[in-house]
Order: sequence, then structure tokens, then C-alpha cells
Amino acid sequence: MHGLFRWSSKWWPGVIPLVVFWAIAAWTTTPPLESELAARSAAALKDSLLDKTRITVAGRDVTFAADAFSEDGRRGAVASVAAVPGVRLVNDETQLVPEAKPFVWSAERDVVRVTLGGSAPLPATKGRLLEAARATLGGVEVVDQMNLSRGAPPRFDNAALLMLDQIWKLKDGKITISDAKVSLAGMARELGGREAIAAALKNLPEGFSVAANEIKAPPYIFQAYKDPVAVTLTLTGYVPDNNVHAALVAAAGRKFFNEKVADNIKASLGAPSGFANAVVPALGALSRLSTGTLVVSDREVKLSGDAFYDAAAAQIRAGLKDFPQGWQFKADISVKPASAPVDGTVCQQLFSDLLAKGKIRFESGRATIDPDSAGLLDRLIETALRCPSANIEIAGHTDADGEDGFNQALSEKRAQAVTDFLVKAGLPAERFTAMGYGSTQPVASNDTDEGKAQNRRIDFVVR
Amino acid sequence: MAYLVIFHWGWLLASLLLGLAMGWIAVVHRAQAVSKVTSRWLGVLAAALVAAALARVIPGRPGYWLDLGLIMFALYLAGCAVGSWLRDWVVSRHAPAA
Repeated sequence: MHGLFRWSSKWWPGVIPLVVFWAIAAWTTTPPLESELAARSAAALKDSLLDKTRITVAGRDVTFAADAFSEDGRRGAVASVAAVPGVRLVNDETQLVPEAKPFVWSAERDVVRVTLGGSAPLPATKGRLLEAARATLGGVEVVDQMNLSRGAPPRFDNAALLMLDQIWKLKDGKITISDAKVSLAGMARELGGREAIAAALKNLPEGFSVAANEIKAPPYIFQAYKDPVAVTLTLTGYVPDNNVHAALVAAAGRKFFNEKVADNIKASLGAPSGFANAVVPALGALSRLSTGTLVVSDREVKLSGDAFYDAAAAQIRAGLKDFPQGWQFKADISVKPASAPVDGTVCQQLFSDLLAKGKIRFESGRATIDPDSAGLLDRLIETALRCPSANIEIAGHTDADGEDGFNQALSEKRAQAVTDFLVKAGLPAERFTAMGYGSTQPVASNDTDEGKAQNRRIDFVVR
Repeated sequence: MAYLVIFHWGWLLASLLLGLAMGWIAVVHRAQAVSKVTSRWLGVLAAALVAAALARVIPGRPGYWLDLGLIMFALYLAGCAVGSWLRDWVVSRHAPAA
């Protein structure tokens, strides 16, 4: 032992090359050591949930800066860096992601792009939302302005994904989730879009509620155009469903006895309430015009065109019976120029032509004129106006069903009802004689339903 | 520490060998010996540096260099001790024969 002390006093010359070695070792090993420690630290953080991770190594000391999403996650990340072999010290510059209060996320759509803004709770959520937006909105630019924040309500991801599913149904607008309240504003891209979004909002995750849904729908439009040249009635636009579709086409067939009905209607959700109740009488008013257009836009009904005579124009302008509440009717009606006068024979021919195409209908067993016959009556009145000197017999006929006395009385009452209608339209009462013939003058066999229908009729006979 | 040893084994081996050589030479070397006082001061300095390294008070690269230097120096000393002891053993075995 004593020798060791003695020898050690002569060990010092070796320190000189040792210092040289040390200097070279320090010079050459520092950068590779630092980069290896940085790589190992990054690998240790692979499973940690962090944002803006920055690792810088000086010697064996790691300066570690990151935004963590929870205090536990932050501590765990620091500990896992500290546990990396070779790391001497960890300079902890980590912090928690700021908490957003209220936690607001939004998706805004305009013509060319969708902007996702506000806060997202985790990088994974942010990525998933962007991916979902790109998938549902194929082709539309998706702009990411989302920040990461803490404080998202539970099940935020599901709610946000559901809202992203709705954003493509909008032409423009904004969907906002503020804490657990959802607000929507904007214009639906298609008819029915508003209803589809309202239905989807029922699937919001538990705890979420709708604060405001101000999605507007594009106007719900239905149009009918009566073309006297092509003798067609063209129906376009939307109806709520196939039942209403069938009902409207059937009503058009009854009211437009002469015209062919061209049906270009599509069914769509989003009709204002009372749609059918408003459109059927409006079609009745259109049937009284010589040429005209009916435009139904949301709850506004616009009718324009030419009536056959002054009184008809006045009646149409006065509005529609049985029009549903909350609907507006606007009529822009002029009167068709009077046709050239003709003599009685021609008048008779015109009456016969009209009555061959359509028949004046009544309520079953009664003398009340069916409103569906208004168009035909207007044409008959117009014809009667063309031969002012002719006296006309309005002849009522019935089929052979029922008692003769009842039929006789019914035919008389029906003829009288038609005469009253003509007089109300402004024709002089003395030109018309109402006659009832019961079932005495059949034009077809009373054995078939078809024949009976032909026998139930009103004839106009020029005397 | 284990990591440092694995990472720098080449340099540490070199220090050890240098120590062995120096120890081998020191037994018969006629160089001037370090005085007792100086060696005590050097011992205090070494203890202070070890304390600083263990307390990790020197940050960043200098801290790393200190660690590296101290490990190299420790191995050098170990090499010296073994070398001197070996030389002494060889010399004393030959001496009676001579």
C-alpha cells in the first residue's frame, strides 16, 4: 500500500496525454451523442399524446418542450424522457394545452371551400375531422384553422363528425358547436336538405342539444303553364309526395277538359303546409284562363294570364275560396280580347264542340255545379258572348236511374243552376231558357255506366 | 453511467491502457515526484469535481465533458495502479534471483 502512494506521485506525466485524449474524445463524441439521445427521446415519446414537441440536447441534458393534453400525460412524458439511458437531466419546458371556455368548434361552408375553425380537443380528432371533411366533400377545398384546446365536452368527436355530415347538405352556412350546444345557420343546397338536417340533429350524441337551427331551404316551387296553342297544361316543380302528385294530376285532368297534361313534377320534402289545399284551387283558377301561368313559391301563389271575359277576371282577382291560412294569392289577370261575333249556327257548333270535349259536372244527385267545371263554363260563356242575338235553351238531362219525377226535377234544377251562373257572369237573363228533360232524351244506352254518364248532361241549344 | 461506458468504450480502454503504461513506467521512473501537499490539493480538486458531477450542477455540454473526463481519469488511475502493482510484482520476483 505504501508503494502505491509512492508510485502514484509519479503518475502525473500520463495525465498530459490523457488530457489530449479527453479533448479529442469530447470534440468527436459530443454531436453523435447528442443526436442519439435526441432520437432515443423522440422514440420514448412515440406513444405520448403531445402537440408541438421540441427536443434539444446539449451534452446529456435534454430540453423538452411540448403541449400536453392532461397533467398526467405531461408528467408521464417528462418521466419517459428522463428514463432514456444516457440522459442526465431533463429541462422540463412542457405545458398544458390552453383550456377553451366555452369550447367552440365551427365548420363554415361557402361556395368554394369549407373552413374548419375553433378548437379541437386532440390532434387525432383534428386529423379525423379533416379527413372526414375531405371524404364527404370530395372536390371542395377544406381549410384547417382549428387550434388544439382542452375542455371539449364528452362525445365531442361524434357530434362534430355528425355536423360535418350535414355541412355538405348546405350551399352556404355555418355550423357551430359551443360546449354542448349546436347552432346551425345557412341555406340548404337542395329542397329537403333542411328537413334532412333536422332529422340528423335527432342523432346528436347524449348531452348535446340544438341551440338554434336557422337553416333555410331554397324556395319550394311549383309551376303550371297553360298553353292555348299547343293545348297543353305543363306542370313543373315539386310536390310533397306521390299521393299529392297523383291528386294534382287527377285534379288537372278534371279541370282542364281540353288540354293535354304534361307532367314534369318531382317529389321532394320541404313543402309548406297546406300545399295541396292551396295548389288545387289555384289550378282551378288557372283553368279559367285562356292562357296563363301559375307559380307557387313557398307560400306565395302568383297567377297571371288572360281571362275569357270581364266578370271572370274580376272573380279570379277577388281571390280563391278555401285557400289555406298563411298563404298569399296574387293575381295579375287581364282580359283576352273579345273574339269576332258569329251567327247562331256557328255558336251552336262551338257549343257542341265544347260540350263534346267536356261536360258540366254537378255534385252527385244535386244541382250544385262542381267547381272543376268552371273552366268549361267560362268557355261556354265566352262563346255565348260571341252571338249576342241568339237565344239559347239550356237543356238538362239525366240518366234513367231513380224515379222519373226526381230526375225531371233534378234536370230542371241543374239547367237553372247553369242559367244562373251565366246570368251572374253578365249575360242577359232573357236570352236563356232553362229546360229539364229528365231521362226522356238519352243519347246512349242506360244499361251501362258509360252510357249513363253520357246521358247525364247539359246541352246548349241555339233557338 | 452504463450508457456512457458502452458509448465510449474505445476512449475508456485507451485511458486504461495509458494508465497501465504509466503505472508500469512509474515504478522505475526517475521523474520528479509530486509533493505531498500538492497531491493533497489535487485530491481535493478531484473530489470537488466528482462532487460537482454527482450533483449535476454544471449544465449542458461542459457537464457532459466533466463526466467524460472524470470517467477517463478514474480508469487512468485504475490502469496506473494495476500497472504499478504488476511492475512491482515483476521487479520483486526478479530481485531475489539477482
